[in-house]
Amino acid sequence: MNNLEQCLKCNLCTLVCPMMEVNPAYPGPKKAGPDGERYRLKDPAFFDYALKYCLNCKRCEVACPSDVHIGDMIQSARIKYGSQAHIRGRNGLRDWALASTDLVGSVASPIAPVVNGVLKMKPVKAVMHGVLGVHKNRTFPAYSSRKFSSWFRKQDQSGFDKYVSYFHGCYVNYNYPELGKAFVKLMNAAGYGVHKLEKEKCCGVALMSNGFADKARSQGEVNLASMRKAVAAGEQVLTTSSTCTFTMRDEYADVLGLRNEDVRDSLMLATKWLYEKISEGEVKLKFRKDFRMKVVYHTACHMQKMGWQVYSIAMLQMIPGLELTVLDQNCCGIAGTFGFKKENYEWSQEIGGKLFSDIESSGADVVATDCETCKWQIEMSTGKTVLNPVEILAEALEY
Amino acid sequence: MAMKFDVVIIGGGWAGCSAAAQLCDSGLKVAIVSEGLSLSVSGSATPYARLAELQRRGVTVLRGDRAVGALIEDGRVKSVHTRNLGDDALQADRFVLATGKFFSRGLLSDKEHIWEPVFGADVEYDPDRSKWYDPDFNKPQPFMKYGVKTSPDGFVLAGGAVVGNLLAVGEIVAEGYPQSDLGKL
Repeated sequence: MNNLEQCLKCNLCTLVCPMMEVNPAYPGPKKAGPDGERYRLKDPAFFDYALKYCLNCKRCEVACPSDVHIGDMIQSARIKYGSQAHIRGRNGLRDWALASTDLVGSVASPIAPVVNGVLKMKPVKAVMHGVLGVHKNRTFPAYSSRKFSSWFRKQDQSGFDKYVSYFHGCYVNYNYPELGKAFVKLMNAAGYGVHKLEKEKCCGVALMSNGFADKARSQGEVNLASMRKAVAAGEQVLTTSSTCTFTMRDEYADVLGLRNEDVRDSLMLATKWLYEKISEGEVKLKFRKDFRMKVVYHTACHMQKMGWQVYSIAMLQMIPGLELTVLDQNCCGIAGTFGFKKENYEWSQEIGGKLFSDIESSGADVVATDCETCKWQIEMSTGKTVLNPVEILAEALEY
Repeated sequence: MAMKFDVVIIGGGWAGCSAAAQLCDSGLKVAIVSEGLSLSVSGSATPYARLAELQRRGVTVLRGDRAVGALIEDGRVKSVHTRNLGDDALQADRFVLATGKFFSRGLLSDKEHIWEPVFGADVEYDPDRSKWYDPDFNKPQPFMKYGVKTSPDGFVLAGGAVVGNLLAVGEIVAEGYPQSDLGKL
């Protein structure tokens, strides 16, 4: 939706933009969004390639008192006016590889030990840094030799009265099946069986930000078709990643122009679903009495945009013995694939600085967050363990 | 479905944050719905810092969310709905209205009416639109005095009746009407 006329020029978006604080080349959300849009409507030649610096964190939209779709406007302009090849730039191969989470994951998973080992080697990192443009300090999330989907196929999920469908996402499938396993354990404890969606593709967020909007759109269609089947069978579609959820609920319609209103309300994070079921008295969870953990909760940017951190926080607060502090909402700086790119590394770390120091001074054992890329960034930058609230809940279960 | 609190504050500007700080100090479970920010003399960054501090002290901060409606029964607010939480209403024993005036959408207007959008509170204003403003730009503008009506105790009036658990604080209260004393909550 292009509502640039609603902008009052108050500059609150400028105040909260994390990129603007560290990178003077970025014109900022007001200028890149509603101000620039006014020009672009007159003549697409006004499109400014500095819009590629937008992290798509949506903090501008959260701050905007006038509901201007600043972030959507910037994303849409990148797709509509920017040459996709130009946005990919000189590092086209790298950006393609970073964006193709499904393909790379499928190739890497069967030879995970080799890939993980090779990616950690200094000479390989140097080559990736120099030739591909992936910063040498970054460690790729390790690939799992057994995909979540292969593990899940062996699980007996029959015999439940009620079922939910699970959109696991690329990270759970290829890198971190533990989170998916925790989700299944939690759902089973709640009395629900788990179904996988008939077909699942990457939500497309990395494709969109790397200039592959058409591919994102076609993958979106596949996901929506599978979700429709699940919803028609009376199942909610649950997720464990805030960004996948946000992308499929909001970006599909607002940026890619896909029609998702028929499944949108049935798609939600597991913590929101659980909170609602528990409040309605339909689900009861029993937690271990001996569970002890000191946790700080980091609200991922897309989680803040949805406003759903309240559910994850409320769920964590249900665990006796868990001491929780909610951190001030700051961007961790990685913004999906953005921080992996050599040219963005310094900005990425500078943006995350405030959050890292908050975490380090908190004295917590564990950082909880609903976003996997925040997890990589915080683990690399602070050395703390980062867990999804679903994992903490599953661990605390008396089951 | 509902999220339950002792007090829900609508509005995260100066008045709302001050109320939240006072109430959470007295040990209550508080939520604050903070849509956008108030552009105050103290600067735009100040309310952010205050919200962050409230969050550290255990207040539930719904940042960037907006109250879109309320359920009022028997002269009491039962719950408030927000844009982000959809069907999950915020329930509380008591509510505080601190949404400010026109700029922060505490008050909305068209060419004939001025209204308070969340609770439908009674608004004090001149029915004659030509009296809303003074053509002399430099004079005090009458519309700046408009706001919600309150009872002598500072409770909000709606449909002429007192809403017994809804206090109004800050800019939203019409000039000449009593401001709430939070001690009454």
